[in-house]
Amino acid sequence: MTLPQAGVQAVHEHATDGGAMEPYDVLQGEVILKIDEVYKLFPGTVALKKVNVDVLKGEIHGIIGKNGAGKSTLVSIVAGLEAATGGTIYVRGKPLPRLTRAVAKRERIAIVPQEPQVIPDFTVAENLFLGSEIATSGFISWSSLHRRSRDILDQCGLPFDTHIKAADLSVSEQQLLLVAKACYVEQAEIIIFDEASASLTERDEETLHRIVFDRKQAGCTILYISHRIDELLKVCDRVTVLQDGQSSEAQSCELLGEEDLASLIVGENYTRNAADLDWSAISDGATGREVAIAIEGLGQAGVFEGINLTVYRGEVVGLAGLRGSGRTELLKAVAGVERADAGLVTVGGKSALFSSPSAAISKGVVYLPEDREHEGIIGTLSVRINCVLNALDQVSRYGFVRRSWESAKAAEVIRSLDIAVADMGQEVSQLSGGNKQKVLVGRIAASKPRVFLLDEPTRGVDVGTRDSIMRIVRYTLAQSAGVVITSPGLEDLLEICDRIAVMRRGRIVAEFSRDHFDEREIYLAMQGATESLPVEPSPGTSAPVSTSPTT
Amino acid sequence: MVLRFKLLILDNLIWGLVLGFFILNALFTPQFATYDNVLDILFHSSAMSMLVLAEGLVLVIGALDLSIDSIAAFAPGIVCLMGLRWAHLDPISMIILTLVAGALIGALNGWFVAVIKLNPFVETLAMEIVLRGLVLFLVPISLFPLPYIYQAPGSLRVLSNVPVAVFIMLAVYSGVEVVMRYTTFGRRFVATGGNPRASFIAGINTRRMIIAAFMLAGLLAGVAGLLIAGRQGSISNTMAQNDVIMAFAGAILGGATLQGGKGAPVGMLGGALLLGMISNALNLLGVGVTLVYATEGALIFVAVVIDRVREKVRVQVLKKEQVKRFRLETMETKGGDLASSS
Repeated sequence: MTLPQAGVQAVHEHATDGGAMEPYDVLQGEVILKIDEVYKLFPGTVALKKVNVDVLKGEIHGIIGKNGAGKSTLVSIVAGLEAATGGTIYVRGKPLPRLTRAVAKRERIAIVPQEPQVIPDFTVAENLFLGSEIATSGFISWSSLHRRSRDILDQCGLPFDTHIKAADLSVSEQQLLLVAKACYVEQAEIIIFDEASASLTERDEETLHRIVFDRKQAGCTILYISHRIDELLKVCDRVTVLQDGQSSEAQSCELLGEEDLASLIVGENYTRNAADLDWSAISDGATGREVAIAIEGLGQAGVFEGINLTVYRGEVVGLAGLRGSGRTELLKAVAGVERADAGLVTVGGKSALFSSPSAAISKGVVYLPEDREHEGIIGTLSVRINCVLNALDQVSRYGFVRRSWESAKAAEVIRSLDIAVADMGQEVSQLSGGNKQKVLVGRIAASKPRVFLLDEPTRGVDVGTRDSIMRIVRYTLAQSAGVVITSPGLEDLLEICDRIAVMRRGRIVAEFSRDHFDEREIYLAMQGATESLPVEPSPGTSAPVSTSPTT
Repeated sequence: MVLRFKLLILDNLIWGLVLGFFILNALFTPQFATYDNVLDILFHSSAMSMLVLAEGLVLVIGALDLSIDSIAAFAPGIVCLMGLRWAHLDPISMIILTLVAGALIGALNGWFVAVIKLNPFVETLAMEIVLRGLVLFLVPISLFPLPYIYQAPGSLRVLSNVPVAVFIMLAVYSGVEVVMRYTTFGRRFVATGGNPRASFIAGINTRRMIIAAFMLAGLLAGVAGLLIAGRQGSISNTMAQNDVIMAFAGAILGGATLQGGKGAPVGMLGGALLLGMISNALNLLGVGVTLVYATEGALIFVAVVIDRVREKVRVQVLKKEQVKRFRLETMETKGGDLASSS
């Protein structure tokens, strides 16, 4: 039994607001779940190298790590969704060599997955009791099913009707439904939350935390995965950090400040401004004043409207906005992936609304999709073919691909983006997430476009890859083109952008130039707070937002 | 290097199967490995190989086509009716028209699937039934004689008795292989099958690719029809009926998958030849016609299981290599802070 070492980190002033913290009293408890020397290999990547975690009975145990550190893989193994390549899992002291989902269920382990997986055509009650239906001799008792569902939903503080379809719920509500299922229906003793808060709205997140604390009171053990430091410190008793597939010793949350945890997560040389951009080397953003792309009055019914945005050559413009603010849809409409209903896009002196991505690409507008697996890579094909897909015409003559040109081009992409591949003939599906992303960035850059529309290029990649992508965007892509970029977190945008446009409910509500960057104000603008905006967005009217950067 | 060699063998296992099956039969069936019989296998595989390639290309694009065997009957059927009964056309234009008719029907299939977004299974099922029905309605039990030149592709033999059909088969396969492997069109085609959404966003005109796949399938079905008509010297209204099932089998044996994005003509040729060899061997062994069909099915079953095992072995080989590397790496870091934490 190892005690958390308080001496390792200097204890800062109590950084967490202790409002919801439980008294920390389970240190000497019994180990209910022991993860012993577990490792897991995926084709092409090592997901977990060496993981040892002791989870004590009755605690809320957090697991945190960078993207790709192996959090989800680890809990999938514990929940029996995936088999470990090596190592053992002990539950209540008993080794479970063949841990399948059925075994995990018998051991009373439940999991709330990252993305809500409901059956859309089933009702709320049916989804809630899926796999644990209330039945007498095979016949489902609908009345008691709905009654019990009602009780459970009331207990969770969820107002929705048990008769509506799961498809009628928002993503956030679907996730809460699954939380309720794992916590109250399956009567689990070990409950795993795999980034359950990621798809929740702020209010639903509070509900989630309430349910978690309630379950703790009831004696359940909780494994809580999140990539958000503040949330973890607020919720958990102890936390284990995963770094590159290896676990650290569990630390008591009471003794940790946000900074301590952050440095544990990223390793030794942690700096806030990790990509460490040398701004003096960047030719002061939009000095040339050559317009790369001008978006005027762009609108898509019910999604966004009245979007005006001008991006200059050499400039990086961030699009900030909460989930559902319309930023992805806007980028897709500009790139011709979806049709816009109104407005004009001007590129290279010609105005048009692109009807397809190929039309946009021919005008030099490329789009990096947010959904890498489904919209980005072509997994069955080789790295070489993926790298040159957007630039096929450059490596071919009379319709025939020149193998040597193609290999040279692919090698250039691989080298300049530092993509880790064994062989360029390797299938892309075998690469790690970060390397897949780099292949995509390289692919869209290979056609030398005028405008890059990057939709969350740093999503789901590790910190090292994030830094190199940020550097590529700033130094390479923005050198001869205009860049519009979105990001899961504001930090990336603050670090890299010349300007940040804030979207809210399908409109650009504010713009900040680099010398006026203030994380708090930008965040407030995203939330819809209207205090002290640097650019007056004239809400409520359709008058265009001033797009000239404040100088 | 060893790994690469293993993968090379695994990725071309269909030709290993073809070779193995050939040797097995050569050992046990006396007339099997003779010049004439080998030519016979190739000759009888030629028409089916066109249907296999047709189905294979549509599978690569990520769809499927149930109508190719009806196209193979309808295209030569309607052209011969036109050329011989309703009007008088010269045989060369009839050959060209047969191919054009096949390609047009294929393009229509493609248009319905790519533009109207019908489900390819349902759309081609309807087309299959409509075309077969029209053939049964329009063509009497049999339509003959056919002009000599029209029959030539399917029946003529040149150079030490080699059928022209065999040359056609080899030429078509080489041509499609080159297009798929070396042209930008081929790249875009395979990419569309691998991930249509991603390909669309990458600027590929995926609609055009899907239409092209069905159109090529129709064209190849037209070629198949031409070869069959030539071989039997007539147009019958049950021509190529149900051959689509074998076409699927051949294409899947040859490396195509129902998920799309995989498969190359080289493999599909292997698949077609394996099918041809199986039926030839069974005939030589004197297996009754009805039983041949069942045995063919069973052998295809075996082959697909072997293919499945191949895929598993491939994954296993790659994984073993990875575990080996992983072990080496962790050995190196032993003694560092890794070991001290336990």
